[in-house]
Parts: sequence; C-alpha cells; structure tokens
Amino acid sequence: MADAATSTRAEAAQATPGSVQGASLTTIAWQQFKKHPLARTALVILGIMYCLAAFADFFAPYPEHQINPNATFEPPTAVRFLDASGHLTWPYIYAQKKSIDMTTFESVWTVDTSHAYKLRFFVHLRGVRNRYVPFPVSLIPVQLRHVLGIHGWATLHLFGVADPSGQAQIHLLGTDDLGSDVFGKLMFGARISLTIGILASLVAIVIGMLMGGLAGFYGGWIDEIILRFVEALSAIPFLFLLLTLSAVFYPLHLPSTTQFMLIIVALSVIGWGQIARAVRGQVLSLRERDFTVAAQALGASNMRVITRHLLPQTLSFIIISMSIQIPEYTLAESVLSFFGLGVQPPSTSWGLMLSTAQSFAGVTGLTDRWWIFTPGVAIFLAVLTWNLLGDGLRDAFDPKSRR
Amino acid sequence: MSQWDLPAPSLVLGTYHLEAPRSMIFYVIRRLFNLIPTFIIATFLAWGIIQAAPGDFASQFAFNQVDPNKAERIREVLGLSNPWYVRYFYWLRNVVLHFDLGTSMTSKASVTALILPLMRNSMVLLLPATALAFAIAIPIGVYSALHKYSIADRILTVFSLLGLAVPNFFLALIVLAFSVQWFHAYHWFLLPTGGMTSTDFSSFSSWHKIIDVGWHLIGPVVVVTLSSLAFVSRVMRGEMLEVLGQDYIRTAKSKGLSERAVNVKHALRNAILVIVAIIGSTLPGLVSGAGSVEFVTGWPGITPLFIRSIFAQDVYVVMALLTILTLLLMVGNLLSDLALAMIDPRIRY
Repeated sequence: MADAATSTRAEAAQATPGSVQGASLTTIAWQQFKKHPLARTALVILGIMYCLAAFADFFAPYPEHQINPNATFEPPTAVRFLDASGHLTWPYIYAQKKSIDMTTFESVWTVDTSHAYKLRFFVHLRGVRNRYVPFPVSLIPVQLRHVLGIHGWATLHLFGVADPSGQAQIHLLGTDDLGSDVFGKLMFGARISLTIGILASLVAIVIGMLMGGLAGFYGGWIDEIILRFVEALSAIPFLFLLLTLSAVFYPLHLPSTTQFMLIIVALSVIGWGQIARAVRGQVLSLRERDFTVAAQALGASNMRVITRHLLPQTLSFIIISMSIQIPEYTLAESVLSFFGLGVQPPSTSWGLMLSTAQSFAGVTGLTDRWWIFTPGVAIFLAVLTWNLLGDGLRDAFDPKSRR
Repeated sequence: MSQWDLPAPSLVLGTYHLEAPRSMIFYVIRRLFNLIPTFIIATFLAWGIIQAAPGDFASQFAFNQVDPNKAERIREVLGLSNPWYVRYFYWLRNVVLHFDLGTSMTSKASVTALILPLMRNSMVLLLPATALAFAIAIPIGVYSALHKYSIADRILTVFSLLGLAVPNFFLALIVLAFSVQWFHAYHWFLLPTGGMTSTDFSSFSSWHKIIDVGWHLIGPVVVVTLSSLAFVSRVMRGEMLEVLGQDYIRTAKSKGLSERAVNVKHALRNAILVIVAIIGSTLPGLVSGAGSVEFVTGWPGITPLFIRSIFAQDVYVVMALLTILTLLLMVGNLLSDLALAMIDPRIRY
C-alpha cells in the first residue's frame, strides 16, 4: 500500500509539472495511520463486529425473537471434535436435559450422551417463523418494501444441528432468562449498540457545526445566546440530563424503532454543545488566519477559500471528535438501557442484556451463569477498539500528535 | 464522557490574559454574577425537559373507579393545573427566596430533608474516590511520561486503555457478583453485597460504625476510582510530555541542572496546572460514574432516588437533584479556575 500511495503522489507530481503539489490530506492520513499497528488491528476487529451485526440473522443459529420457556439459563453447548474412541471426527454436540434438584429446587442441566447430533453448516430452518429479511433489504422500511414489491426473505443460517425433533439445540453461549440464544442475541444487540454511537455522533456533529458556525460567523447576540445555551447544557451532569431526557418519552410506550431514534436524539442533544464550542473557535480563528487572508488577496473566491482552505481543517476535526464521541455514546447507551430507560424489549442491546444479568445472576452467577455477563465483554471490546481506532485517526489527522 | 469536557487551556489563558489586572475579589464577584444566567437557563432547560413528559404525577390516579375526580383534585392541590412556565417561576422564587426545593409528591416530605442525607452518602463515596483517583493517577502519568515508551509505560498505557473501555456499572456488577459468590462459598463476607451499612448497624459503637461504612466503601470506591484513573493519568502523561518538549526544559538541562531538578521544578510544576484545570471538568464524569455504581451496588445515594423519582414523575425531587448537581458543578468549575488563577502567575484576573 505504501508503494501505491507514493506512486499516486508521483503521478500527481508528474501530472502538474512545475507546480509544487503536496500529498492530499487523506494520503498523509493513511500513511500515518499505517504506522499504528494497534489501530489497524482495531479496524479489523471492528469490521468483523459490524459484519456480524449486519448479517446477524445468518450467523445466529436461531431467529431474533425466539424464546423457549423450557430452556432458561441452559449452559453453553460444547462442540465436540473427538468421538468416544478419541479419534478426530466431524464436529457434533450432545443434547442437554433439564431436571429439578429436589433438595434445592434448582434446575440442573445434564448432558445427554445417548445420541450425538452432527453440526451442519449452511442449514435452512423450516417454518414461517424462521424466515428473516436479509441485511441490506432489511434497512428499507416495511411499507416501502411493499410498495416496491420487494418480498425478499431467507432461511439460511451459517450453522445448526441436524435434529428434526428439536431436542438438541445449539447455544454457543447458553441461553438467558427467556431461553433465547445469548450468542445470537449478542449479534442482534450489536445492531443497536454499535450503530447508536455512529448515528448520534453524526447528528451531534451536524447540529454542532451548524450552531458553532452560526455563532462564529455572525458573532454578536447570536453568538452570545448559543454560547450561553451551550454553557447551561454542559452545567448539568451528563448522566442525569440523559436520564431526564429519556424519561420524557418513557410513559408513551413507543415502538422500538422510535425509541431507538429518541435515544439518538437525546445523546446528540447533549453532545452538540462541545462541538459547537470548538467549531466556533475554529471559525473565529480560521477567518483571521494568514492563509485565508492570503488566499483572498490572491483573488480566490469565497467558495474556493471555504472548500480548499477551511473545510479540510474541519474535516480533521470532525473525524477526531467522532472517534472520541462514538465510544462515549456507545457507553452511554449501554448505561441508559441498563437503567431501563433506553432500548425496550423486544428489541435488545448489550446494556439491556446486562440488566437481566443483574436481576438473574443469583448467588453463584459468576461461575454457573457466566455467559449472561458476556454483553459486558462485548461493550468493553467495542469501546476499546473504537478508542484504539480513534487514537490512530487522531495521530493520522492531527498534525500536532504525529510521531 | 469526560474526555471531551476538557476546557481548551489556551482559550482560558487567552481570555484572562487580555484583561487588565484587577483585584481577586472583583474577579470572584464577576464570576459569581456570571453563574446566575447560566444557572437560570440550565434550571429552566431542565424544568422544560421534565415537564415535556406526557402526563404528570396525578395521571396515575386518572382511572380511579371509586373516585373519578381524584386526579383533578390532586392536580389542584399540587398546583399542577398552572402552565409549566408559570410553575417554573413559582419554583424559582421559592428556591431563591426561601431555599425551599418543594415537597416530594410521593413521600409528602420536604425535598430538602429527603435529599440531604442521601447527598451526604453520595459525597462519602465521591470524595474518597476523587481524591484516590488523582493521588494515584498523577504519579502514574508523571512516571509514564519520564519513561516514555519503556516497558512500564507501555503496560500502563495498555491498562489505561482497558480502564477507559470497561463500563463501570459492569465492573460494579462483577464485584457484586463476586462478593455474593464468595459468601456463598465460604460463608463469610470478604466484601459486602451492596448497600452502605450492615443490617445491625444501629447497635454498633461509633468506631465500629465508621469501620463498617469504610468496609462497604471498598467496592464502590475501587470501581469509581479505576474508571477515572485512566483518564486522569493519560491527561497527566500527555501534558508532562508536552512540557518536557518545551525549550525551557532544554535550557534548564543545558544549564547543568540535575535531571531531578528539571523534572520536578520545571516540568512537573507546569504540567500539574492542567490537573488543576481539569478537576472542575472531571466532576460531571465522576458524579455520573459514581451514579451508575450507586445504582448497581445499592449505595443509598442520590442516583437510586433520582431513578425512582423519574419513573414516578416526582418533579420536585428530580428538579432539586438536577439543581443541586448543577450548582455543585458550577462551583467546582469556579473553584478550579480560581485555584488555577492563584497558582499560575500567567493568568491575570
């Protein structure tokens, strides 16, 4: 890739002989980004996570809202590679059976080794309830799909077990209090947990740049009002303001898509102030900077000054502040859902899954029901990789932090 | 939440630098007057958000079969029939003139009486956690900066990255589950399983009471400290590195000063300014972080009450908590600015 970057640079230099042509912002940024092995790893991990979330229907062995009251807190299914005589064989699983311990009245799961169920790849689940709308199509609203006549649905899953009776179920990370597959639920939850941060930061940046631009450009009383408002907004502690904002719509029992958008609105309503303040400062200083004045003196139009001199500067800022905000918003969403004011069932997110972990951990939850804590690890991983990626991006786009 | 709350130091310095030197008292008074509009806008904003929720406290009685007019009567008694902005000014008048934060609708008690003990409990958690976080983070940051890219620095960097990514309510959940499980296995408490006091707390002697609360503090304080440790130590490391790269450090070194004198007298003294500057702005993050830990561990602080009041639409309690926290943050920011002005001779006030 280094060769490709330098060759494009060389081509660019050749294409305009005589003029001094520097590398573009993205070229420099990419060169800098490549110096960050951790950031590149984070990018790959994030790519995998978003891929799993997008095609969750395919990767999960069972449909999204499938529950099973008879199989609550079933331990993870062990996938076995060795047969009874210790030889390597096609992977298979055993069914797990629930019984009640008559002294403690707790349900005890035992592995039933009487029959081995073979693991199958690319299985089709039969039945209308098992149909799902595959990823890119599922983004189109249902009504629009009807109008356009798109009735695409699929039944394909990456893996499953060959068991027509439904005795053996494969739960790689066990089941939760409703008997739904935690492994699948993690991926379905990722759809909300991983996208809310991006969408909320986009909305916050749009509002922040608009308000900051207005304040910086016009000054005077508009500037005063916006600054006062931002100051007041940041004077209220983040968590409590967020909880208050989310509680506004709580009594309405809105559908989960609306709730999802409202969380984005709540997060961005709180977050735009910081961006507005920074953009205002940038606009104020950029207007007076020598290169802007020089460009204007050379006869550049306002449009050219804005697109060639001002926007590249704000682009770096946008990317840097997005990389800071996305993990923060991801965390905030999980806290909100954990408190019961965020995503509502039947939709799910990692924070909401953890709130069931709080209710149902029991006395020996860490060892006996450890899999219901896995959403916490997922949040951790997502925030960590976003932070690492953000560090890389910051070094790539911020000339001051370059090594 | 805290990373982005950093005030741009240059901006702060710039503003005050331009002004003519005046006496400190005038500066403080001016800053206090500046707080008033912010306070009014913030509380008005909070009030508006709370009132935007559909229904009110009386709505839960709207379908009372025995007494169909109950909701309307309650509304009349509580004064909920006035428009929301009118009620804001009544509320503001009571707060400013009588320090009266209203009456809780659910418990019928004065909000002040309800909140004060919980506020004290929250402070008991928050203050040691804050002090501990700064006390540990500053040496870590300085050490990392002085031994840049050494193995210890790399390990500390990795740990602070991990620390930034762990949601503290999840950490609290793990600590709680661990202590429950410990008791289940060995039949004695290594750590308490939530709350602030033991069940037979009232029968303890006063020394025993302090020890008991301290023992209950361990888990929550460790979680809150860990979550803010990472941020503060990273800021400290960055600032220390920035200072170490300055020309006057090179000058000091070339004068023949010892490494120690350069690091402590020239570098640390300047780098520590940023810590003073961020103490005020890390408070919201700390309060919020401690809030979710309170909620998980059942610490009888303000957050559990806040959540309960939000669900019950107990407007005055929610409003009182928001107001007090806002005031606290504003005063915290002011104090941090004043401290900065006092120790940084470059700042003119």
